[in-house]
Amino acid sequence: MTAIGESVPRQDAEAKLRGTAVYGIDYEEPHYLHGKILRATVPAARIVRLDTSKAEQIPGVLAIVTAQDVPGRWGFATVDQPLLADGAIRYEGEPIAAVAAETWNQARAALKAIELGLEPLDVVGTMDEALAPHARLIHPDWESYEMRPSFPREGNVATVVELERGDPDAGFAAADVVVEGEYHAPRHHQASIEPRVCTARYEDGTYVIHTSTQVPFGVRDGAAGYLGVRPSDVRVIVPTVGGGFGGKLLPTLEPIASLLARKANRPVKLVNTRKEEFLSGCPRENAVIRIRTALSKAGEILAHESEVLMDNGAYGGEQPFVAGLSPLIVCSNYRTDSIRHQTKLVYTNTPPTGPFRGVLATYAVFAVERHADEIAKTLGMDRIEFRRQNLYREGDKCATGQVLEGVAFEETLDRVEELAPWKTMTGSKKPYRGVGVACAIWNTNSAPGGSTIKLNEDGTASLTTGATEIGTGAIAQALPQIVAAELGVSVDDVFVSEPDTSVGLFDGGAQGGRTTYMAGTATKKAAGEVREQILDVAAGLLEADRGDLELSDGAVLVTGAPDRKVSLSKVARVAQATDGPMVGSGSHAHPPIEFESGCISGSVINGFTGATYHTHLAEVEVDPDTGQVTILRYVVAQDVGRAINPQAIEGQIDGGVLQGIGYALFEDLRLVDGVCVDWGFGTYRLPTAADMPEIEIALVEVPDPVGAYGVKGAAEAPIIPVAGAIANAVADAIGKPVNSIPLTPFAVLEAIHS
Amino acid sequence: MPDTKPATLTINGRELELDVPPFYPLAVVLREELGLTGTKTGCFEGRCGACTVIVDGETVVACIYPVGLAYGKSVLTVESLAEPTGPLSSLQQNFLEKGAVQCGVCTPGMLMTLTNLLERTPQPSEDEVRDALSGNLCRCTGYRKIIEATLATAEAAR
Repeated sequence: MTAIGESVPRQDAEAKLRGTAVYGIDYEEPHYLHGKILRATVPAARIVRLDTSKAEQIPGVLAIVTAQDVPGRWGFATVDQPLLADGAIRYEGEPIAAVAAETWNQARAALKAIELGLEPLDVVGTMDEALAPHARLIHPDWESYEMRPSFPREGNVATVVELERGDPDAGFAAADVVVEGEYHAPRHHQASIEPRVCTARYEDGTYVIHTSTQVPFGVRDGAAGYLGVRPSDVRVIVPTVGGGFGGKLLPTLEPIASLLARKANRPVKLVNTRKEEFLSGCPRENAVIRIRTALSKAGEILAHESEVLMDNGAYGGEQPFVAGLSPLIVCSNYRTDSIRHQTKLVYTNTPPTGPFRGVLATYAVFAVERHADEIAKTLGMDRIEFRRQNLYREGDKCATGQVLEGVAFEETLDRVEELAPWKTMTGSKKPYRGVGVACAIWNTNSAPGGSTIKLNEDGTASLTTGATEIGTGAIAQALPQIVAAELGVSVDDVFVSEPDTSVGLFDGGAQGGRTTYMAGTATKKAAGEVREQILDVAAGLLEADRGDLELSDGAVLVTGAPDRKVSLSKVARVAQATDGPMVGSGSHAHPPIEFESGCISGSVINGFTGATYHTHLAEVEVDPDTGQVTILRYVVAQDVGRAINPQAIEGQIDGGVLQGIGYALFEDLRLVDGVCVDWGFGTYRLPTAADMPEIEIALVEVPDPVGAYGVKGAAEAPIIPVAGAIANAVADAIGKPVNSIPLTPFAVLEAIHS
Repeated sequence: MPDTKPATLTINGRELELDVPPFYPLAVVLREELGLTGTKTGCFEGRCGACTVIVDGETVVACIYPVGLAYGKSVLTVESLAEPTGPLSSLQQNFLEKGAVQCGVCTPGMLMTLTNLLERTPQPSEDEVRDALSGNLCRCTGYRKIIEATLATAEAAR
């Protein structure tokens, strides 16, 4: 099983390096039409007139669609979103109509010829405005919307998550010290370099969609929902994906392109401009987090109370489900049995927010870890000592009462200590230099998945799965490594097909670090089935006992008798002639988790699966004249269960940490009265090579009981602790709390002089 | 009379005559007229650098570079770095070995910027590599392995 733990290169690297890989932006079909979307330029209005008759006369225009062509709504949780605005505009950037034309210029001309009459409505641009008494309802008909499953909600509050366990009131009554804090975090845009793009055609009653997505089966279901057809009437195929980070989870362009393609009877390609990416891009939500902690003088946590406000924007999307994770992370890291928590997801007249790597944990952990430092300071305790005393240990319960096993906080703290001894780091404090630490527990998404493997007549193996490569290497490295290890073939002799929902088994998508964890485990099962069949056939051919056989170098060998062997090619051919082609399949779902039922409402996420543990340390220098923060040193210790490909995981840590640095220091998708201010890379600054500090990485391997080889999610989490570690370091450097991110030079100067 | 100046330019060593308006972005001409889709477009605002190509020894962002400016000049794209059936360039090979590619959509632009850097400055310092990359955005890798691959390429050429 040599392939496990080896840093083999990506299977797709060479095509990407030569420029021959075909991405969504490169994919074309014969005689395809150029699609374009008419988007709202105001955040709130009534549509009183929508006339496409002049646009239809533009030469080359073959189809125009409006809400009349696609009645009804769809949504992952709350069925609240029309595909094209249906009489009301609820956010700037909302699609109103779409056209398909022979050329891009004709499509653009047609958009300009659409006549739109609007009556402005008061803009409910912020959560405060949305929650104010007598606020205008963004969805006046919210009560009539179906919600699956039905969570508590009311008016502009799209969903409410509540958790209560133990006796928090008694905890606060008995407290020696109560520490309170309020924390703010901005919108954060995924900004994959390839925008969202798709090409759709309608053929023999099926919508065939080639799209740059992370979740082909989710796009299939969403498109089918809008189009009013069965999921199997939609076929989603995924070319090479130019980055996702959560931004390509939800169906957006695909149903619109499908509708146009059917109406025009030609393939239609839709590509977002960068501005459209920013306006409609489902960024990470801005949020406010309030935490109160009751403590004894000795630093024991007696009770924990917290409240979170998440900005949903105009439509629910996946956010009602994401909100359910909030108590697990906000009431987390530190042992206590008395907890009260509420999260509200709030509708506003702003672009819908959505999943971005680490979802709410980036700000939840920022708040929790800033709060931990404030607690230590209040108690006069060392910050690491407070953490070592209170962080979850083996057998402790998380917020929902789930008993945690395989807890690895201690190991990650120890590995950071080895690389950057705390006493040395904090011993001789220099002016405006500071050190910060942040710890996090994180979940591996456990949506199910499946794989099919066939043994080819030349002794190679082909893997078919609905799981999707978005750049992490889960499909380009980890899954072929698993097949290679199980079948004793070279990684180069494992071929992976592109995701196609009409061919591959269901997969929950490239999200939440789940591909190696779930699709990888399914793939190991599939390979195990093929392996059993190989052994059956080879035992007959070699006249040997199955137990004496091993698979290695593309052959089956009798252990201890090196000249008694048969190639996998021969095994495959014999099997094919006698029993038919050799195939194995593997399906995997996570077993249910146990928690204290009844303590939580409004959530379908009741505990951790494949929990991982993380400690990050940052050393920073602050320029007191400019407020500029420079990261001098960055240390990561991350529990990955089992590292299938250490180099690939390091790459995920590098990238996740730099995204976290952008989030901590400058990324902020600003809105003013619901209008997006940052709609290009000119003002929404992404981190560049100059922003990347030296990073030291320690991989911790505490195996998971469910994942193949003990593997857990590795790619998503490294973004999560970064803002907390950096903010704690900045607070240490300037001797003042910094409880709002991003820590721009202006914000830091203001904190210094506060 | 229309401008009769011949719209010829050399792309990856081949002289071509074009029949497109001179204000068309070079990236659109490369991708849509010539099928050279190795040059990626990420923003069409000249800021992400995915479309970086080399024109007469200078890097340009092809999404906002009018093709007319390249008339009479030599344009090099990612497809020029290795023969289709030949080995990868040393820089490409180091990208592969060091794990400098993830989603890969910024990779062609990165390769053109860094190929140009190594031609001008065969032994760059780490800071010079970071400076050269200031116009190339990567959202996946954190740049570290890209920098490592570049320094390893320079080291091997020493």
